Amino acid sequence: MRADTHAVPTSPIPLAEGDTLPEWRFGPLTRTDIVRYAGASGDFNPIHHDEPLAIAAGLPSVFGIGMMHAGMLGQRLSAWVGPHNICAFSVRFEGQVWPDDVLTFSGTVIEVESSTHEVSLAHVELSVARQDGEQVLSGKASVSTAPHEARSDGGG
Amino acid sequence: MADRGLIGRELGTVRFPVERGKLAELARSFDAPEPLWSDREAAREAGFDDIPAPPTATVVADLWREHGALDGAIRLGLDTTNLLHGEASWQFFAPVRCGDELTARSSVVDVNERVGKRGGAMTLVAIETSYTNQHGEQVATRRDVVVEKGGNSSAR
Repeated sequence: MRADTHAVPTSPIPLAEGDTLPEWRFGPLTRTDIVRYAGASGDFNPIHHDEPLAIAAGLPSVFGIGMMHAGMLGQRLSAWVGPHNICAFSVRFEGQVWPDDVLTFSGTVIEVESSTHEVSLAHVELSVARQDGEQVLSGKASVSTAPHEARSDGGG
Repeated sequence: MADRGLIGRELGTVRFPVERGKLAELARSFDAPEPLWSDREAAREAGFDDIPAPPTATVVADLWREHGALDGAIRLGLDTTNLLHGEASWQFFAPVRCGDELTARSSVVDVNERVGKRGGAMTLVAIETSYTNQHGEQVATRRDVVVEKGGNSSAR
């Protein structure tokens, strides 16, 4: 069990520049982990589970499915800001993930749009890195955010 | 060579349920600690009207496609042994929850050729998928860039 479980928000939460995604690590990645995601998602590209085929293709072994760590990142983002508050989410696959890798998931709010409305948009920069620091995924998200404190001036 | 004539090619429409078993399989493969990703009571206690879908949950459409996750690539005649997933991005317009029935419609929106780091030609194919729910409401769009390595693209 992890100690950092918290309530998943339904409505937009206050976010400020510099706020970070609660730390998340996964691994060491096993072939069983890869197959579990293959079954869940329906991605049966054999290069991710058939070791003889991967080796015949010149690879050291099977490698992880990009959409698995992308999905994990998306779910961690959802747990932090609320699944229904994500307006956009994008990932670019920068490198491959291998069995025994330990992945670190991170995210930082880089901008909060100023708005006169009750809800504004926060832009989050996201990353997944291997244990040697190599970035395997870079990502971005735009999420709805609430003002930091309720205003009592009644203006606007 | 990159065949820009593929732009606009329809890659099929698939209708699929957002079901609890698939959401639970995804949550387990993502090692998610929060019970609300698979437990309806936990989701309701947290204030959701049903189990919320994480951002990449639209992958479960692949179960219903003839060639799974590689369906688009196979329909386009890409060499699946030399294929990489370059990017994926989503825009969300309305919440997706367990019990929804989505229709996904995919087409090719861009084709480009680029020279890779090692000098080989790469064909980049952008596929866009639009998701509509059972009420006819567009809930999301997804854009994928698949990269076929090697100079002798068989895309046709």
